[in-house]
Amino acid sequence: MKKTISYRIIEGKHPVFYWTLGISTFLILLGLYAAYNMEHYGHIITGMTNQIVWGMPHVFAIFLIVAASGVLNVASISSVFRKSFYHPLARLSALLAITMLVGGLMVLVLDLGRPDRLIIAMTHYNFKSIFSWNIILYNGFILLCALYIWFMMERRMHGSKPTVGLVAFLWRLILTTGTGSIFGFLVAREAYNTAILPPLFIALSLVLGLAVFLLLLMFFSHALGERILQRPKILLGVLIGAVFYFVLAYHLTHLYITGRHGVEYFILADGGIYTILFWGGYIFLGTILPLLLLYHERFSHSRVSIGSACLLSILGGFSLLYVIIIGGQAYPLDIFPGMEVISSSFFDAASKHPYTPSGWEFMLGMGGIGVSVILTLIAMKILPFLPANLTDSDIDPELLD
Amino acid sequence: MKQLALIIDLNVCVGCHACVTSCKEWNTSGWAGPLSDFNPYNVNPTGTFFNRVQTFEIGTFPNTETVHFPKSCLHCEDPPCVPVCPTGASYKREEDGIVLVDYDKCIGCKYCSWACPYGARELDEQQKVMKKCTLCVDRIYDQTLPESERKPACVLACPTNARLFGDVHDSDSEVSKLIRENGGYQLMPEWGTNPANHYLPRRKTRLKIHEDELRRSDNPLKKEGLLPEPPKEQQTLDDIYMSW
Repeated sequence: MKKTISYRIIEGKHPVFYWTLGISTFLILLGLYAAYNMEHYGHIITGMTNQIVWGMPHVFAIFLIVAASGVLNVASISSVFRKSFYHPLARLSALLAITMLVGGLMVLVLDLGRPDRLIIAMTHYNFKSIFSWNIILYNGFILLCALYIWFMMERRMHGSKPTVGLVAFLWRLILTTGTGSIFGFLVAREAYNTAILPPLFIALSLVLGLAVFLLLLMFFSHALGERILQRPKILLGVLIGAVFYFVLAYHLTHLYITGRHGVEYFILADGGIYTILFWGGYIFLGTILPLLLLYHERFSHSRVSIGSACLLSILGGFSLLYVIIIGGQAYPLDIFPGMEVISSSFFDAASKHPYTPSGWEFMLGMGGIGVSVILTLIAMKILPFLPANLTDSDIDPELLD
Repeated sequence: MKQLALIIDLNVCVGCHACVTSCKEWNTSGWAGPLSDFNPYNVNPTGTFFNRVQTFEIGTFPNTETVHFPKSCLHCEDPPCVPVCPTGASYKREEDGIVLVDYDKCIGCKYCSWACPYGARELDEQQKVMKKCTLCVDRIYDQTLPESERKPACVLACPTNARLFGDVHDSDSEVSKLIRENGGYQLMPEWGTNPANHYLPRRKTRLKIHEDELRRSDNPLKKEGLLPEPPKEQQTLDDIYMSW
């Protein structure tokens, strides 16, 4: 007989709950203060220039957006691929998809030159623009996830749940393809202009989403069974490998194209912070270490090592996004091939464009994370998203397919 | 279709930045302004400019040459900045081919700046919208100005006449002739953007003199060189004329 899964709300009486609420509120206030200053004084107070047009806030925003689309994967496995093992986690997964996307979008919108004109972006669409498509995709995703949660919570709607789940799954694939295409479609910049970025972003989204989800699950579920962690743990390792595969293919392709040797040399060997973040941040901390922690016999059964692997893969993903988004802009446009610009009133007579993120940019980015956390907490306090028990004995052997 | 454009003669451009400052002066107080400045003086002035000059060297020392390369929006016939704009704020005018930004629709996402392979787009740090060369659209059609002044400010300011303005689609226009006859070229045509602005290349003027051209054909003594100087006391023709 199939066991009924019961859900609970978080009590919200524990000091940790209030501390998290307080810290998130503080982060949101910091973010809003930064946004106010950036609007009041202009973008001049940020580290962004006419060469580095998208800076730290975009790394935060894209990190949150990509992770949001990936976190829905847990629900998708349960409803689309019918793995009932993941059923109890589906609600939380869809909730996180909404809250992280909202946090990311807040950062993105507040970093726009004119956030007050958001209504124009919502009413005037240029359908040739991938950016414009993304606006539709993000809004649609929030709506679909909300529907999905409703169908999961409302017993009468259970029949249609798989359909919404499937649509949400397809939508999220298109959404991350759209986010990756923002960079993939950039013909003018050597670091981009490649069709591999959308699949790379999809793989990265799955890693980030799963890592965030597992961390949250370990944080909230005191009695978490070994087996319930074992499967996602293996999946996380596979996904980290998938991202590495796409990154490898991306760089190998560039290394094969003579015209792109310059940008490859810049990122892999001579880019300063970008090189350090690529090798140290993404390859070592974000790929090698987590794989060791997840697969090596000595660590693989420890819950601490699973948690650390999740944290490290998030750190690695963030580093990779920084290298992709900012490193690609720091490498100058090659307007006079073979010539060395010796002076320029464009400030681009340099082998790389300098960029140091300002404190305001970090504050705005952290504000987005604050929004995601606080929305998740409030939702979990109001509605039953968390499965009541996740010990192995609670998971019926029938559920363990 | 008309396609207005600038033709820049690199052969005579001396990199004086008169086009940069006149552009800034006209546009900061005109339709496209203000062009915000944050550090307008000293070594590294920062601010919004529609037109800038880049300088690069060609050749290897000692056979080097300095090229000054003024660059603004090239008003591409197939501009990559237009399709990427999410709100349609960037557009190309049908009637004269000028690429413009509708400041009231621009949300400042800066995506067009990513898309432009020429680095011609700038965010105005104060107004927080994207700005670029308008080909002085607010003066080239201004009926209150004399006909000769209905040209972009940079064209009027250039001391060496290195900047010319006209319709590159009209094969009889002055600019079309210059492009045709002087090897006018587009910047990075391989992008397929078909920039309307053209550059005239550096041209070397060399005078080739043959040995026989240095010989006088009417030299009766067949001897080259200076004529013998007459003695000082001898009267010359000048003395005769002066005495009159």
